[in-house]
Amino acid sequence: MKNVMKKMGCLFLISALLVLSACSSGQEASKRSKDGKINVVTTIAQIGEPLSEIGGDRLNVKSLMGPSVDPHLYKATQSDMETLEEADIIFYNGLHLEANMVEIFEKISESKPVLAVGETIPEESLLKDEKGVVDPHIWFDLDLWQQALDAAVEQLKEFSPEDADYFEENKKKYFARLADLKKEAEKLADIPESQRVLVTAHDAFGYFGRMHGIKVVGLQGLSTDSEIGITDIQDTIDIIKKYKVPAVFIESSINEKSIKAVIEGAKSEGINVTLGGELYSDAMGEEGTEEGTYIGMYRHNINTIYEALSEGGK
Amino acid sequence: MFTILLNSNTQWVLFSTMIFGIAAGTMGCLAYWKRQSLMSDALAHAALPGVVIAFLLLGEKNLFVMIIGASISALIGASFIQWIRSSTRISADTAMGMVLSIFFGLGIMLLTVVNRTSGGNQSGLDSFIFGQAASMVRSDVTTMLILALAVILIVFIAFKEWKIYLFDPEFAKGLGLSLKWMNGLYTTILVTTIVIGIQAVGVILIAALLIIPSVSARYWTQSFQRMIIISALFGGAAGALGTFISALGRGWPTGPFIVIVASALFFLSLFFGKEKGILVKYLQLKMQKRLVNIHTSKALRTKGVE
Amino acid sequence: MAEAVLQVENLSASYRKNTVLFDVNFVVQAGSLVGIVGPNGAGKSTLLKTILNLHPSLTGSVKFFGLPFNKVQKRIGYVPQRGSVDWDFPTNALDVVTMGLYGQIGWLKRPSRLHKQKAFEALEKLGMADYADRQISQLSGGQQQRVFLARALVQNADLYFMDEPLAGVDAATERAIMTLLKELKALGKTVMVVHHDLQTVEDYFDHVLLLNRTVIQYGKTKQIFTRENISRTYGGDLRWLREESLHVHNPIK
Repeated sequence: MKNVMKKMGCLFLISALLVLSACSSGQEASKRSKDGKINVVTTIAQIGEPLSEIGGDRLNVKSLMGPSVDPHLYKATQSDMETLEEADIIFYNGLHLEANMVEIFEKISESKPVLAVGETIPEESLLKDEKGVVDPHIWFDLDLWQQALDAAVEQLKEFSPEDADYFEENKKKYFARLADLKKEAEKLADIPESQRVLVTAHDAFGYFGRMHGIKVVGLQGLSTDSEIGITDIQDTIDIIKKYKVPAVFIESSINEKSIKAVIEGAKSEGINVTLGGELYSDAMGEEGTEEGTYIGMYRHNINTIYEALSEGGK
Repeated sequence: MFTILLNSNTQWVLFSTMIFGIAAGTMGCLAYWKRQSLMSDALAHAALPGVVIAFLLLGEKNLFVMIIGASISALIGASFIQWIRSSTRISADTAMGMVLSIFFGLGIMLLTVVNRTSGGNQSGLDSFIFGQAASMVRSDVTTMLILALAVILIVFIAFKEWKIYLFDPEFAKGLGLSLKWMNGLYTTILVTTIVIGIQAVGVILIAALLIIPSVSARYWTQSFQRMIIISALFGGAAGALGTFISALGRGWPTGPFIVIVASALFFLSLFFGKEKGILVKYLQLKMQKRLVNIHTSKALRTKGVE
Repeated sequence: MAEAVLQVENLSASYRKNTVLFDVNFVVQAGSLVGIVGPNGAGKSTLLKTILNLHPSLTGSVKFFGLPFNKVQKRIGYVPQRGSVDWDFPTNALDVVTMGLYGQIGWLKRPSRLHKQKAFEALEKLGMADYADRQISQLSGGQQQRVFLARALVQNADLYFMDEPLAGVDAATERAIMTLLKELKALGKTVMVVHHDLQTVEDYFDHVLLLNRTVIQYGKTKQIFTRENISRTYGGDLRWLREESLHVHNPIK
């Protein structure tokens, strides 16, 4: 018993240290503003990573939400507040993706430029569910995301006119890479049409499906904060049955348990469906890896879906 | 409407919540007579840091390891309560309140820390707070079934011992029953019951299923044995019915519906229960009044004749 | 020659920081009916609980029939204070009496019909046959006390400890209980009773233990129960009065 207590004590210490280190890293960020770069803070890395490519050494980009972090449930901590405080310019996705942080951004926008990049997209190009709620996962539509990034770059140009040409040049380079990626994605059309069904944990892939002609089924709604009901699981199994879907996918930021329940449930009804692999939906991969970049994670998704769905047809 | 019952997923969830309800109803009766209903709530909350720490140590979500983490954490909470009670002047309910909030706060703190570390598919941890019954699979059902049966069996095999332990512990000790052992066993099966239900209803609502069925059962019987059986039935019915109702709607949460059904059963018992139910009491009072009236009017009449 | 059934040597006990009992020494012979008498807060209940290992002792040793407690547990019966249990517990009188047989039935086994019969006979002996199926919550204080006595009776012990069995009971119950105690004595059993009513001590008990945090006097009632000893116990002496007012833990009763 005493031993256990000791171990617990150690753990508490470790966790306390974690909290402390999180605080101190926030303070570090505040010091960097002295090096003459523009401090850009974004929520999701899907905005931050492309901007750091475009901004090059003129920008200091920090994304609040790291790998595997779920933006729907994210709540700002004290250290996040400090980071936001030190920022010169802030970008977030908007469209209620960062549901718990809207109020904070509204407050901050009184004192510094804050842009919801998703809300610059014309409404008619946005997807809505049957209740009229806008799907915020717009980075899965390469064209829309290009528009959103464009709006962000415009904002940066406005903030620092002397860097405008530099940003413009880098932006063109980056958009060219996006165009290549779009070509690469055309291979998704090779999947037999009847099998072009994407089953994932939550409704993040609506834009992806619209762009590449894939029917998308999510267990959970547009946000991850609702509990998955029993009917949701059953409905998904029914769809798998109907379309003979060969594989379903888990997402890096979502509990894979419910998708596994779907697989087991389908199995007990005599349908063999495999786990197609892990997709990046709301969060990207580890920093420094291929999947840690916007283009890299998009390519990962394309390849994973392509392999899993076309394979099963055999 | 009933075709939903034919689905294997629904069956798994239904079966496991029912089994949990039965175990919780049984165990709740013991907690009721130990006058420790709040204890189950405190221990349920105390389980949360264990779940998160198990995840931190392992780096992945493994239900079995998390259950062990939850048990250890809840047992530490229990020993804290025991320690505070025996060696300070702080009363039992204050001790339980303290452990409840301290451990839950610690759990939330750790959860926030984990939420920020990379590489963890951490969102599964959140579901331990409110429960996520729908994503249960066959292996979960097996685990729950074994643990729940163990709890039920322990209560029924040693039924006579539980009765004397709860009614008159000092006398039980005089007969040679080890109170230390009984206390240990009691805490162990209480924690086991809590751990079974954590996945289905979460740490916050779990106490409801340990408390409500036993209180409801009290309105129906004057026998300890029957009280346990009725409480188990109520718990099982709440689990199964709550799950069934939640399966009727799209995206309806299971845990809260189970609690709502349990509460409905409680109100039924409160009004119509045959032992001290409100309706029965009212009728008895009315009958008594009538009897008194008849007597007095008779008395008056006889007087009038004279 | 009567054998010594209970030997208490240098026993002391405390509640938190207050010493309630110190230097308690006495020896009880078989067949005695002993009244334990003393003022409130004298440690009467604590003495019973400490002897029976229900309360930890600080020092000293207790021997039953020359043996330690755990060796002779089955030969010892205990009747706790009526208020120590929750009478709202859902069970009936017969069931409570059957609890006295649990030691004989054996752990994890169910009571048989024979056991129920034995329990019923014990109830009958205390004039409670008509109440066997009655809910214990619906019994009067005196009836509840008789149920407790019946439960001790079925234990068939050789040495009984009873904590205030006559407190707050009706005259009929008091008579029934005393008849039973005298019967037990006649059978050669030893009974120690915490008692509060000084007027009846001489009628009820052949031995008396005058207690006020330690043994003031112990012996045959006729010799010990004198005015002088009583006033010594109850604080005729001023020193005791003061001590007592400082250490009252149990002002109720």
